[in-house]
Amino acid sequence: MSSESSKKRKPKVIRSDGAPAEGKRTRSDTEQEGKYYSEEAEVDLRDPGRDYELYKYTCQELQRLMAEIQDLKSRGGKDAQAVEIEDRRIQSCVHFMTLKKLNRLAHIRLKKGRDQTHEAKQKVDAYHLQLQNLLYEVMHLQKEITKCLEFKSKHEEIDLVSLEEFYKEAPPDISKAEVTMGDPHQQTLARLDWELEQRKRLAEKYRECLSNKEKILKEIEVKKEYLSSLQPRLNSIMQASLPVQEYLFMPFDQAHKQYETARHLPPPLYVLFVQATAYGQACAHRKSSQPPRQDKMLSVAIEGSVDEAKALFKPPEDSQDDESDSDAEEEQTTKRRRPTLGVQLDDKRKEMLKRHPLSVLLDLKCKDDSVLHLTFYYLMNLNIMTVKARVTTATELITPISAGDLLSPDSVLSCLYPGDHGKKTPNPANQYQFDKVGILTLRDYVLDLGHPYLWVQKLGGLHFPKEQPQHTVITDHSLSASHMETTMKLLKTRVQSRLALHKQFASLAKLQAAVVLNPGYSSIPPIFQLCLNWKGEKTNNNDDNIRAMESEVNVCYKELCGPRPGHQLLTNQLQRLCVLLDVYLETESHDDSVEGPKEFPQEKMCLRLFRGPSRIKPFKYNHPQGFFSHR
Amino acid sequence: MERAAQQAVPLGQMEVFQALQRLHMTIFSQSVSPCGKFLAAGNNYGQIAIFSLSAALSSEAKEESKKPMVTFQAHDGPVYSMVSTDRHLLSAGDGEVKAWLWAEILKKGCKELWRRQPPYRTSLEVPEINALLLVPKENLLILAGGDCQLHAMDLETGTFMWALRGHTDYIHCLALRERSPEVLSGGEDGAVRLWDLRTAKEVQTIEVYKHEECSRPHNGRWIGCLATDSDWMVCGGGPALTLWHLRSSTPTTVFPMRAPQKHVTFYQDLVLTAAGNSCRVDVFTNLGYRAFSLSF
Repeated sequence: MSSESSKKRKPKVIRSDGAPAEGKRTRSDTEQEGKYYSEEAEVDLRDPGRDYELYKYTCQELQRLMAEIQDLKSRGGKDAQAVEIEDRRIQSCVHFMTLKKLNRLAHIRLKKGRDQTHEAKQKVDAYHLQLQNLLYEVMHLQKEITKCLEFKSKHEEIDLVSLEEFYKEAPPDISKAEVTMGDPHQQTLARLDWELEQRKRLAEKYRECLSNKEKILKEIEVKKEYLSSLQPRLNSIMQASLPVQEYLFMPFDQAHKQYETARHLPPPLYVLFVQATAYGQACAHRKSSQPPRQDKMLSVAIEGSVDEAKALFKPPEDSQDDESDSDAEEEQTTKRRRPTLGVQLDDKRKEMLKRHPLSVLLDLKCKDDSVLHLTFYYLMNLNIMTVKARVTTATELITPISAGDLLSPDSVLSCLYPGDHGKKTPNPANQYQFDKVGILTLRDYVLDLGHPYLWVQKLGGLHFPKEQPQHTVITDHSLSASHMETTMKLLKTRVQSRLALHKQFASLAKLQAAVVLNPGYSSIPPIFQLCLNWKGEKTNNNDDNIRAMESEVNVCYKELCGPRPGHQLLTNQLQRLCVLLDVYLETESHDDSVEGPKEFPQEKMCLRLFRGPSRIKPFKYNHPQGFFSHR
Repeated sequence: MERAAQQAVPLGQMEVFQALQRLHMTIFSQSVSPCGKFLAAGNNYGQIAIFSLSAALSSEAKEESKKPMVTFQAHDGPVYSMVSTDRHLLSAGDGEVKAWLWAEILKKGCKELWRRQPPYRTSLEVPEINALLLVPKENLLILAGGDCQLHAMDLETGTFMWALRGHTDYIHCLALRERSPEVLSGGEDGAVRLWDLRTAKEVQTIEVYKHEECSRPHNGRWIGCLATDSDWMVCGGGPALTLWHLRSSTPTTVFPMRAPQKHVTFYQDLVLTAAGNSCRVDVFTNLGYRAFSLSF
């Protein structure tokens, strides 16, 4: 209750305390200053220590009073104590007020203190800022100073001539010795001047030199052009001289080139070349009665790569001598490179059969404008020459089937001389070589390498005596020369005769017969259908006579059965067909508009050639009278 | 000429033989009966076959109707020529001319009424008769063929009256020029000769192969076919088929045919021609314009 009342009363008291407090204050103010009351000012006057003591004392008093109140309240009697309690309460209130004042003062002091601190701090901050600014400026200035101190004038980069030189070389108006000696600045200036002067002079010189150079270069250009224009002119002169050369029959140019290449030929080919050219020229001269245009019967040329020939730096004679050595070498090298045995052997063979890169090409022209092209090769390791032949005709040849082989390169030159088939190597030494690499005979390789005819060897001056095989063989010009003429003549006749034979084959009449055989042969006869290839294709569709021939063997087969049991029917039919073909061809009416003799002269006896509306030929043979008549 | 159709080869020997025969058969001649119902055809084996035209051409025709009603061996050699009179069928080929009665011909085992052989000069080989020509006004039959002569036979008596000589090679064809009356004959020698029947002499010769417009030397010079229209004549063979004006003996039109022509007839204003080796019968108006072709 008392606490409640104290609580109730405290606010009252406070209010009421406040008023008097203020009153107190105003009193003290007016006592002191007179105009206004400033608690702040009071703070300055009072001593904080004493206030602290006061505070401690007040707290003690309050504690004491509270304890006494407590005592009194616990003792119990209400009335007497109530007054004492009230008394003490009032005292404690006063103490409270003191405490509040002290609190205010403390606050004010604190505030003041803070303010002061704040001010001071601000000042300090301001000074600090200033300090920093100044320091910064100092630093900046220091940097500038160092920069300025570090500044290097460009002039210091220039390598100036040394002082002594300077004073020696510079003209006096630049060097100004009297001024510059004492004054380094002036000296440097002077030196720089001198440098500039020198440089100007040098630049002048440089320009002059450049222009000189340009001039000289132009002159060089002009001269070069002149020289280079000479070369085509020389060439054109050469070209222009060619017709003159031809006219005068002195093809120097061509011949020169040929002889150049000929130098790289292996000896047998060289012999052949020389002899063939000589023969060709001789033949041409022989026909001096001919009009001036030279009829080149025989023309010689060299084909192949001269560079490759040059690359074979071993001249062919050496390879002939050391064949066994080179074989051994080959073995070794091939062993190193390739492991397999079969491929090794192949390589050895290829090496053995290697051709010289150059070959001699001979063109033999015959009267009817057909040309026999012969290409002669030299097999270096075997020391034999081979030839490949080709025939070209002025007009296209239509090759009938049976004549296909006549002009084939493989066989056109076969047996030019008796027994010379061109399938075996003429050099006996080759056999030993072949054994080493497993070649049985050269026959397998002739298609590729050419044919090693004996006459070819002779033309190249290679002579192989049959009794002893020799390693070294001399190439003999006289041997070649002695055989040249005969061989050439033989070759020409061979070509011409083959061509003539070819033509004959083309003009032959061919009868094709298709036969159907019945399983019931020979009671049921074979049936023939015929087609005649001669002056066009004639069958039973377009030629009544073919039809009649078919009818002779198909319908009239009973005559052809032969003796019982008649198994020869087919052969007899075929034979009759042959006879019928003969009759047909021989009785072909002669075309009056075409001149010349009949192609198939009539050998058979015929009474009449044509009979009946269908104009059939006489196919019926009358035995034993032996003449042909119609059915 | 016609080619016989091919058939599959049967098994028996006889059938094989017949099939082979058919394969190589050539029909050389044909003739229609006077009543018009039958067609006789003669082939290279000497057989004559009679076909019933009415049956084959009727609307109910079957395969059998197209087979011959009767076939018989008429001659030893090919039957090159046949003509029909109002009662007889005359066939000739291997040097003889035989006559058959149309009325009897369909009966089996028909025999010829008569056969005659013109007087030939050579005996070594019997010349064939290539052409028969009836001259109804004079009742003559003219035969021509291998012996290079035209023989005239009187049909009543069967005697050979005269022979006309002039051709140097055998005669292929005959034609009758009614107005004059003349006979034209064309032969292997390349000439068309006109003979006057009354005087039995050669009146005109036209050597066709000598005229450049129509001659074709690569085919030969033989004249294979002849037809005449009294003023005009068409002939062909080795040389090109040409229309001739007879009085002036000049070729007027050359028909553009490549193959040698084997048959030609005048029909009204048209020229019908057939080559043996093609499937066509070409029809021309006689101005040389090929109107159309009949083709198999």
